[in-house]
Amino acid sequence: MNMNTKKILSILAVGVLFFTACTKKLEQTDPNNLPTDKALSTDANVKKVLAGGYDAMSSGNLYGGNVQLFADLLGANAEILWVGTFNTYREIFNKNMLTTNPNVTGVWVSGYNAINIANNVLTALTVVNAADQNRVKGEALAIRGVMHFEMLRLFAKDFRDGSPATNPGIPIMLLPTPTTEQITYPARSTVDQVYTQIITDLVEAENLVPAKNGVYFNKATVAGMLSRVYLQMGRYADARDAANRGIASATANGFGLLSDFFSIFNSGVNTPEDLFAMQVSDQDGANNLHLFYSIPEFGARDGDIEILDDHLNLYELDDQRFIFYLGLGAPRTAKHFDIYKNVKVMRLAELYLTRGEANFRLGTSVGATALADINRIRTRAGMTALAALTLDQIYLERHLELAFEGFFIHDIRRFGKTVDGKTTVDGKAINDPRIVFPVPQREINVNKNLVQNQGY
Amino acid sequence: MRKLYGLLLGLLFVFSQTTFAQIREVSGKVTDSKTGQPIDGVTVAIKGTDRATTTSADGSFRLAVSGDATLVFSNIAYTNQEVKVADIGASGLDIKLVPSSKNLDEVVVVGYGTLIKRDLASSIAKVRGTEVANTPVPNMTQALQGRAAGVFVESENGKVGEGIKVRIRGQSSISASNSPLYVVDGIPIITGSLSGNALADINFNDIESFEILKDAAATAIYGSRAGNGVVLITTKKGKAGKTQYNVNLQYGINEPTRLRGFLNAAEYVEFFREAAVNTAKYHYNRAGNWAGYSSEQEAIDDLVGFVEGRFTRYSGYSSWQNLETNTNWEKEAFQDAKTGLIEVSAQGGSDRTKYYISGSFNSQDGILIGNFFKRVSGRINLEQILSDKLKIGVNMALSKTDANRVPQDNAFATPMQLVAMAPITPTRDQNGVLYDRPTTTYYNGLLEIDYAHYNSTTYRNVASVFGQYNFMKNLFFRTELGIDIASQNDDIYQGSRTFNGSATDGYGQQDWLRNSRFTSNNYFNYRTVISDVHSIDATLGAAFENTKSEFSTVSGEQFPSDDLRTLASAGKITVGSSTISRAALNSFFGRVNYKFSNKYIVGLSARYDGGSVFGEDRRWGFFPGISAAWVISEENFMQNTGALSFLKLRASYGRLGNSAGFDPYGSQSRYGIGKYAGSSILAPITLGNTDFTWETTIQTDIGVEFGLFNNKVSGEIDVYRKASAGDGAGFIINYPIPATTGFTGYIKNIGEIENKGIELTLNALVVNNRDFKWTTSFNMSRNWNKVLVIDGDQDTLSFNDGRYFNALIVGQPIGVFYGQKYAGVDPNNGDALYYLQDGKSTTNDYLAAGQFVVGDPNPKWFGGWTNTFSYKGLELNVLLQAVLGYQVVNGAGGFMSARGDWFDNQTRDQLRRWKQPGDVTDIPEARINAFGDFISPPVSTQYMEDAGYIRLKNVTLGYNLPQNILTKLKMSSVRVYVTGINLAVITDYTGWDPEVNTDYRAGTINQGGDFYAAPQIKSWAFGVNIGF
Repeated sequence: MNMNTKKILSILAVGVLFFTACTKKLEQTDPNNLPTDKALSTDANVKKVLAGGYDAMSSGNLYGGNVQLFADLLGANAEILWVGTFNTYREIFNKNMLTTNPNVTGVWVSGYNAINIANNVLTALTVVNAADQNRVKGEALAIRGVMHFEMLRLFAKDFRDGSPATNPGIPIMLLPTPTTEQITYPARSTVDQVYTQIITDLVEAENLVPAKNGVYFNKATVAGMLSRVYLQMGRYADARDAANRGIASATANGFGLLSDFFSIFNSGVNTPEDLFAMQVSDQDGANNLHLFYSIPEFGARDGDIEILDDHLNLYELDDQRFIFYLGLGAPRTAKHFDIYKNVKVMRLAELYLTRGEANFRLGTSVGATALADINRIRTRAGMTALAALTLDQIYLERHLELAFEGFFIHDIRRFGKTVDGKTTVDGKAINDPRIVFPVPQREINVNKNLVQNQGY
Repeated sequence: MRKLYGLLLGLLFVFSQTTFAQIREVSGKVTDSKTGQPIDGVTVAIKGTDRATTTSADGSFRLAVSGDATLVFSNIAYTNQEVKVADIGASGLDIKLVPSSKNLDEVVVVGYGTLIKRDLASSIAKVRGTEVANTPVPNMTQALQGRAAGVFVESENGKVGEGIKVRIRGQSSISASNSPLYVVDGIPIITGSLSGNALADINFNDIESFEILKDAAATAIYGSRAGNGVVLITTKKGKAGKTQYNVNLQYGINEPTRLRGFLNAAEYVEFFREAAVNTAKYHYNRAGNWAGYSSEQEAIDDLVGFVEGRFTRYSGYSSWQNLETNTNWEKEAFQDAKTGLIEVSAQGGSDRTKYYISGSFNSQDGILIGNFFKRVSGRINLEQILSDKLKIGVNMALSKTDANRVPQDNAFATPMQLVAMAPITPTRDQNGVLYDRPTTTYYNGLLEIDYAHYNSTTYRNVASVFGQYNFMKNLFFRTELGIDIASQNDDIYQGSRTFNGSATDGYGQQDWLRNSRFTSNNYFNYRTVISDVHSIDATLGAAFENTKSEFSTVSGEQFPSDDLRTLASAGKITVGSSTISRAALNSFFGRVNYKFSNKYIVGLSARYDGGSVFGEDRRWGFFPGISAAWVISEENFMQNTGALSFLKLRASYGRLGNSAGFDPYGSQSRYGIGKYAGSSILAPITLGNTDFTWETTIQTDIGVEFGLFNNKVSGEIDVYRKASAGDGAGFIINYPIPATTGFTGYIKNIGEIENKGIELTLNALVVNNRDFKWTTSFNMSRNWNKVLVIDGDQDTLSFNDGRYFNALIVGQPIGVFYGQKYAGVDPNNGDALYYLQDGKSTTNDYLAAGQFVVGDPNPKWFGGWTNTFSYKGLELNVLLQAVLGYQVVNGAGGFMSARGDWFDNQTRDQLRRWKQPGDVTDIPEARINAFGDFISPPVSTQYMEDAGYIRLKNVTLGYNLPQNILTKLKMSSVRVYVTGINLAVITDYTGWDPEVNTDYRAGTINQGGDFYAAPQIKSWAFGVNIGF
């Protein structure tokens, strides 16, 4: 018995040692991810988080394609036809979205994700090397401004539709959510207020970012974004000046129009014409414009979007922008035919078109005459220079130059008509509330301060 | 004749070397010890051999035995009795058997020990391995379907070796696991896998018994993982005696339970032409003619032209005008499927050594083209007594499973989506080459067979060694070390003609997952009886578990040839990644069972668990369970109560945790990694919660066990309530927050859910004669599931995505169907109608329709009824299984039963579509969605159906060769049988099979969905078991 007691004690002793040792194993850290406190603690990490902001923008829900695609689908104007089986995309094409539409929700969720990352960076600037602080701050502000802008255009009424001073815009988010303590339930600011904030961010960003900055935001890009914002608001002088600054900075820093229109597209690296593009490779990135505009032969879906005669008939005979091919029995645009190529967000050509249009509307010739800017775009596409301009001619050039790059509905709203002069789009009035996205139902459910859009 | 006899005699002589010694003939009579009546049908066997006889109607028997043998008297209604032949006098034997129920006296495995069923104060269902052996399914849980009360089993679809839902007493979790903890020979096993189902790695013919622990008293000893019940699996162990070999062969066929039928070529052409005319009229007259046709006829001509153009495209080389092709694409999805099993086992041993060794090869073809499952497995269970103090042993199983998988139900490449193709489309062109788009409407999944593969290989080793030291007669210490390693490789190749590989000249992917778990269990057990009336059984121990999961994946593109499929041939490697996750659990546990005078039983058990996956503020938890039972039939006042032979009342209460299915690091605030523009990035992925902990449920159970007529009829009734604890330890949800924060939610223990239910089990020995026996076993369960709290703010979370409308609603069961109620068809214009929120008036505007709770995917009732009839050597076993009172939504309704919304072939119900004003029908006018003038048919009750079913689950007819032939063959047993599963079903569901939960979205809220899910597998198999 004494022997047994000893044995029991020794076994128990070994057991206790064993388990004490094991308790330490209960402290496990994630080998694959980084604790939040470390992520914003060093210069190198904050810059990686800033890159995370670009990665967030490159989501398929945002500049990875859907933001552009939805502008095209909403402004289809019988020039393109959605034939795909994804009914949530078809709802957008039909301008008949449910408030639960997951793709609509995706724009909102991904957009604010990018904004939160930018806001996180903005709170951690002190750990950034002094020499890089301006650049990092400028890029983060640009991400925040641009994302607010893209969402505002889809989720709120156009600036000139009713009263922007009272029309609900989107919530403005200027602070990050590092922990659950900072969760807020914001209401929607007015369209005016959101535009004001976007302009504040972008103006400051333009001053802070460098003229050359790889594939990231530079002066020309931010100025170009500002010109887009002003143009949408109808502030033509500001749009003209911003575009002019963008062109000046771009051309002084190695950017320029390509001579061959076709070779701008399906490029895995930015061309000199790309002021801003989402970087896609076989390793990483989404290109939903390819996914839906192209065909299975090139790794896309089922050829979900067909190009119709109403669009094809808009081109002049020698227009080199007529880059279509027949795939699965229907015309397809070749702009996005190939897989793993960058998604264009802003080309220098847009800035010439914007400056030209603004100069024309104002009767000015800042930077160049409207005719020169428009003819620059026309002649690059192999057509003869025009002798005189009309606004409709400018609209048409812009429409054909930037087709399938996410401009359709926004330009229809600005011009108050389609490129072929209709004051309806696919049977609906241009200011039909159902052409505006609903606030996602999940957001309405969790945030009682949000009001739903008219018509939902 | 004489020659033959001589030959047989010769054979006997050759095979027998030990017999022919001291043979004598014994005879006797067997009677009931209580009534004195002779007993018919008692098996009288010679111990250690397979020789036996049976008593006749007057209870008498006669048997030739050797003088040193022992006779074993057994009958299902009585306690076994053994008699040594040497003790039998010349006058013969008078045996009095004591009535009993095997059911009450049998040993039941409980957590870290065993108890006698009669002494249990908790709710445990036992299924013997023999009840489910040789069921031609890959996964043991499938074989348990309908076998035990309170245990719900559902196969997601008819893919072989894939997902199966097992729920014990309902669902208590939303985002964590609802599956029970599986423990094999004391070792909690890994259930995660890359694809398929990790439980299919286990050969269930090696299993002696399943003990399903249901109430808190039974499961509390598994603490933070016990909330969903525990399935204890005990594998076969050797018995002392000479080696018994068993050879087990099976061969059979698999086929779908049902085909649903689609339009044929003539119907298809007529349908879509009609749709073209209707669409044109609608556009011209009702949608404002925004396309600008000059007349209705122009619109019709344009649309008919469009549709006929599609016909020409879809019909390939053949002429649709002449209906030259009439392909039944549904049949193309299926293959001729075989199932087979070869298995050999040996068991036996001496007083000191006992062994069970088996090897098995099981091959089962799926019914879907390209789908198969193969398993090679072996097991050694060995126990060695080293001294009267020390015993050691090993239980080890090795297996390799090979499966060729088919894509998930929502993939274009999955075989079942072939049904969407037009019947006018030939499968191949005139050169025999498979057609693809644009000739086929969608990607032709048949291309996967020749140009793609998805092979999944798993090597699995579940092994444990144990040592048990007896300090004294009543006290032992047992230590168990377990290692479970599952190493899985998924080898995926998509060739240059396939959906995923065509743009990149082929696509290859190699995924590797190694899950490993180290378990150490150490416990003391003390048993004693004091003064003959106080029985104590106590266990105290500690356990440690360390789990690691390592994953890596590589993908490549640009293959030179579809014959070169390894990644070495890839021109470009596109993805390479690896991740690791670790979790540890440290535990202390104990149990005391106290019994007084065989009448009063009290059980206490508890576990104290510390888990690494929980937030640092709430890492350790205590899980107690208490139970009490009163065996009323042992009381004096209950003696001589006639028919009632056993009665026990029991009650239990306890607190249990659920910690499976979490992100092991989900409680921490983290930034995740990613890539952009060729370099790495960081971005926030989770908002942490240091209060995050296991989900806690509190369970109460009250049960009655009874026996009637000397326990020839026995049963159990349990009522239970299992509800989330409300003190910040409720079920976990991704607590929704405004996405404006950059997050959509964070994990929080906030929700509360309740399951209440009643379970009934009845067993009866209906007829027990020498030649004919009939036993019946019936179980039925009813579970009421109710969400009590979601997040404290919201009471409805609707997940209507246009195809399904599961929701989480306070006061309703999990995943209830919530949404639009279909009101049939407007007889005037053929529009689909929906009810407005008033529930009475209707609208053709889906967006204006009201929202209602319209159905429930959780079954109300489920159960099974097994009948076993044996007549002489013949045995017939019939299992009926029922699941009643639930609905299924066909998420593909908007494609396949969609009044021709697009060119998908349509189900046959579309033939009764509305055609002209005045038609009263439930199928709207045929219209193709060419202009976007109307929405495609979204989810509503139009696509929801009652799916309750009663199934002829299993029929087995076996024949045991009689003893005299066996003796001559020198075999101990030979059984030939035919078995079938899923043979017939009664249901109102018009889809493929009412037992469905489409795999790509199967979850806790997302249940009850059908989406091109394969019907269940119907099998017929023939088999032979030979024992010698």
